[in-house]
Amino acid sequence: MECEYCDILAGKSKAQLLYEDEKVIVVVKDMVFTPGQITVFPRQHFTIMEQVPDEILTKCIIAADKTSRAVFEVFQSEGTNILIRNGLGAGQKVPHFAIEIIPRREGDGLNLQWQPKEMNQDDLDITAHQLTEEIAKLGDFISPKKREESKEKEKKDGKEVKIEAKEEKENYLVKSLRKIP
Amino acid sequence: MPEPTEEQRKQWEEKIKNMSPEELQELQRQQCIFCQIISGKIPSKKVYEDSVCWAILDINPAAKGHVLLLPKEHYAIMPQVPEKVLGHLSIVAKNLSQVLLKVLRGDGTTVFVANGAAAGQRAQHFMVHLFPRKNGDGLLSAEERLVGADMALKVKAAIEKKLLTLLGGKKEIQKQLPREEIPSGAEKKVLAVESEFFITSPSAKRYHKEKCAFAQNIPEENKVVLSREEAEKTGRKPCTCVSGKKIPLVKPPKLPKVSKAKPETTAATARPIATKPKDRPKDKQPTPTKTKRGEGASLDDIAKLFK
Repeated sequence: MECEYCDILAGKSKAQLLYEDEKVIVVVKDMVFTPGQITVFPRQHFTIMEQVPDEILTKCIIAADKTSRAVFEVFQSEGTNILIRNGLGAGQKVPHFAIEIIPRREGDGLNLQWQPKEMNQDDLDITAHQLTEEIAKLGDFISPKKREESKEKEKKDGKEVKIEAKEEKENYLVKSLRKIP
Repeated sequence: MPEPTEEQRKQWEEKIKNMSPEELQELQRQQCIFCQIISGKIPSKKVYEDSVCWAILDINPAAKGHVLLLPKEHYAIMPQVPEKVLGHLSIVAKNLSQVLLKVLRGDGTTVFVANGAAAGQRAQHFMVHLFPRKNGDGLLSAEERLVGADMALKVKAAIEKKLLTLLGGKKEIQKQLPREEIPSGAEKKVLAVESEFFITSPSAKRYHKEKCAFAQNIPEENKVVLSREEAEKTGRKPCTCVSGKKIPLVKPPKLPKVSKAKPETTAATARPIATKPKDRPKDKQPTPTKTKRGEGASLDDIAKLFK
């Protein structure tokens, strides 16, 4: 599938590259909500947010935050919107996860608002219950301790495997020695 | 509560003026609805909580399943939020988005942050809006439009420096700075100076012009670029291509890239550095760099206009 953002990296696009490192790219596109809009996206191709690894997502958000600060200062904007359109239904145009930083001014006529809906308490309760249950199923998706532990475990397992492999090798050598008359 | 009298109001204003930033923040915290929600003074529909943040359902949602993700600490706007917290929020947002998609069968999710009243921020507490989307639900109906390429250039010119300082793009700054330092007229000068650079290899006793057949025989990884002075200092003698006694076989100029790399080294350091050719392709790799550089000088002017 063709991807506009990957094309930017390949130098095939008119978009202006502002910053790049191993993980994060910052560009100015020519398709924007308002002039001054800046786009942050990961170098690696991910279609939607759910696919982006935590580490890269974090870096993108931090880059977006800094971009937003720069926008505040340079364009003297009165506000910024940080927008992630995740999926076609959310208006995502390019199949590459991206964060848009949109400078805002009082009365700029951008419709980035929504009409608040009246929700009855029962509906809210039901939704809250559904979500809470599903989130509970995810388990602890943040705790870095657990992750480290699991990593350590993996490492340990890896070491053990290596040691075993060594032993096997030695055994093999010993065996081969024995074989020599 | 009785309406405050004129005097009371003045007193308050005095007080606020004399407050330290910490005290002000404390006051904001006391006034903040969401801090009261988090402290439990106002009931809410909580869906998730950890040590850093809360996720609650919006009472006036954009759509069913509209979640507000709030840091427990009080921050008014995004620039105040520490990076750690932002990173944490993004990971939580990712997982919540996944849940929203699964439970409410959306066609997508929107993650939205409003910084400042002009951006539609209603409460003085930084938050991430997260809501499921359905095709054609008409939310956030702003459409993107095509702006001219020059607008993108203007934006780039205006914001690039600031952004790079904030992002700490050291590599980029090194690359960019020389470009900005070169005044528009410098291009020609650089070209004139170009012939003052010669190619040799670490073990060679002579130095050559770039186009010289001998120079081209030096393997890329051994090529050393230096000035006449440097070459003479190291005891190297000019090749016939330099002294002009005899013109050796000239192959067609090899890579136009090489000639581009040089001006950059000249301008950047004013003193030639023996660059390993392996580094060079990096600098020159953007062939468009050259065109950009040409515009670079005038871009500053545009930037001024833009401000």
